[in-house]
Amino acid sequence: MPAESDIKIMPKSVVCEESTLNGDITISSGCVVHPSATIIAEAPIVLGENCIVEEYATIAHRLKDGAASDASNTLHIGANNVFEVGCTVEAARIGDKNVFESKCFVGSGVTVSSGCVVGAGIQLRTAQVLPENTIVYGRQALQREAIEKQGSQTLQIDFLRKVLPNYHHLRKPNYDPKKARSVV
Amino acid sequence: MSFMQPSPVKYACSCGIVNPINKLFFCRHCPKLRCGYCVSHEVESHFCSNCLENIPSSEARHKKNCCANCFDCPCCHHTLSARATTVPVVRKTEEPKDGESAGAATPPPASSKPSAVPTTKKMYYLSCLSCRWTTRDVGIPDQGVATGTWPDNECLYQARFNTLMEYYQSVVLQEKQEKQEFQRRKAPKAHKFPSLTDRTGLTVSLIRRQIGWSEKNVPKTKPLNITPAEAISELEDLPQDIFTQPINLRNITTVAQRHSQPADQPTAVGNLYPQRRSLWIKRSLRCRQCEHNLIKPEYHPTSIKYRIQLFASYHVPEVVMVRLEHPLEAGQSNAILLKLSNPTMYDMTISILDEKPTEEPQINPDEFQATCKIKEEAVTSSPLMKVAALARQTLTKEVTREVRDVANAKIKLLESEFVLNQRDDSKEFDEEVQAQTEEPNFIVWRKGNKVLLRLQFTPAAELEVNDVVTLGFFMQYTYVNTVSNTAEKKEPTTHTLSSRLFIDAGRIEKGN
Ligand SMILES: [Zn+2]
Ligand SMILES: [Zn+2]
Ligand SMILES: [Zn+2]
Ligand SMILES: [Zn+2]
Repeated sequence: MPAESDIKIMPKSVVCEESTLNGDITISSGCVVHPSATIIAEAPIVLGENCIVEEYATIAHRLKDGAASDASNTLHIGANNVFEVGCTVEAARIGDKNVFESKCFVGSGVTVSSGCVVGAGIQLRTAQVLPENTIVYGRQALQREAIEKQGSQTLQIDFLRKVLPNYHHLRKPNYDPKKARSVV
Repeated sequence: MSFMQPSPVKYACSCGIVNPINKLFFCRHCPKLRCGYCVSHEVESHFCSNCLENIPSSEARHKKNCCANCFDCPCCHHTLSARATTVPVVRKTEEPKDGESAGAATPPPASSKPSAVPTTKKMYYLSCLSCRWTTRDVGIPDQGVATGTWPDNECLYQARFNTLMEYYQSVVLQEKQEKQEFQRRKAPKAHKFPSLTDRTGLTVSLIRRQIGWSEKNVPKTKPLNITPAEAISELEDLPQDIFTQPINLRNITTVAQRHSQPADQPTAVGNLYPQRRSLWIKRSLRCRQCEHNLIKPEYHPTSIKYRIQLFASYHVPEVVMVRLEHPLEAGQSNAILLKLSNPTMYDMTISILDEKPTEEPQINPDEFQATCKIKEEAVTSSPLMKVAALARQTLTKEVTREVRDVANAKIKLLESEFVLNQRDDSKEFDEEVQAQTEEPNFIVWRKGNKVLLRLQFTPAAELEVNDVVTLGFFMQYTYVNTVSNTAEKKEPTTHTLSSRLFIDAGRIEKGN
């Protein structure tokens, strides 16, 4: 298991200390990771900009048999995704502007493109590709196509960025992409 | 009492259906148990479950039993909620997708306005919080106010529907008129002497027509002519690409979606329109025998209280099964512990019987009903009540069916009857100072209005393992009725009533 030091937090992101981060994780700027959120990276995970990971949400990148655990097998999560309370996301690929509603489960065979919404409590376990703007809703997990992508969460992120530091200890940003580039 | 689990103790309603006590009502006037099946259900009031607005029944009929302000999602049938967006007025088009959405709502861009001060305007659209469907999905323009201005989707056949409706309304009217006419002619004339028209068979209107006068009375409504529907034998061929193009299931509506929009039953999701939310009703229940209300809810939609609530658990001793003394065995004597509680303010004398006690002589039903009716009028004479009473159809008379005896165990009857004390809420907080009187030995424990009873029984010997053992007995109890059916008598009367109970004691565990 990789050490905690593999976690790269870019500036301007809010990552609470009580979150559980395991493995090689890169958190881009503008992200908000709530306390008791979990990110498990058996192989590297790169969280895109302005993502929100709420309480008890779990993002996992599980290692399949024989797969490499190095940078060649990185899970790139796009920008502006929302992982709501209690969801578990193990998707193979995640694009931009997706919403994973509370207590939903997205299995490892699922490819999530962009602008998708997985409704509250829905379990997606079989291998499938969610095309752009897919909305999975209801008890029978019906799918429909939205006309436009979900609105961005800028207001919510700004609010959280203001409020969370007042009540929680934060992990310090330890990685500046500009500096890193100049060093290399 | 647990509402989540089915109760093992069931009471036989006076109509013969077996129910747990929390599904039963008690008519104090009859006095008998009633269930949902043997009472008449009446609509008390209409209301919208979303905005909790109370809607009078005439208005509800006019609005086709739909709320004027609330909409359901056509996609998932969840309630739609209005969302506000701020739109800068100076902008040319508010949405890039089409011009028609902005044209009506936002005023044309005023070049005189300084663009440095962007005036914004609140615009609303409806959105579903469950499936994220919005009115923008189907191109309904955003509205300046949140409620009231949403367009009704007029379906293609709306005009045809309207003419058909008009036609049939006039048909009904005509039939009614003809019936009245017929009755008027049939009825003996009030005149002392036969008039000329009677002899000759001429009617007033006939004479008037012969003279050439116009019809004096209301002209007979003739149903307007409608073009009858025509059957077509030639059908359009299916489009060629239906066999070649792969279908996109996301663009096709589900059966539930089509049914929720019955007027046009769209096949494509682009034709789904917000549906007006159906109204809910508050229901009142009425005893079919004496026509008294058993349940009458508060009028206001936000209130969950009742004006009249004759639930059986307020009047009939409640029996709760506590436990069995031994595992059930066929033919082996056993005992069951039952907790009885008295919900009324009067002491009850209870005895357990194995056959139906002879009923106290019933009051003459017709006379009884007549007195009840007079009282009813006096008690509930709100205008709404009257409407309900008028709308009520002739109540079907009670059909009593035999209660199927499913008991398969022999009960050992108690040596004597016993008294179940009245309910006294203040006693709950008292110290236990009850002087122990001599109790019959079948009473295990007694506190306040509750008694724990030990009832011995023997399951039938021929029962197999896993068979359900059902105990059946009659519980006779005294009931003090504070309402009286006759106007003069004011003091409460005491009835001796009985209820038939079935207790599902469990399954035989061991064979013998
Ligand atoms: Zn009944
Ligand atoms: Zn409403
Ligand atoms: Zn919906
Ligand atoms: Zn009655």
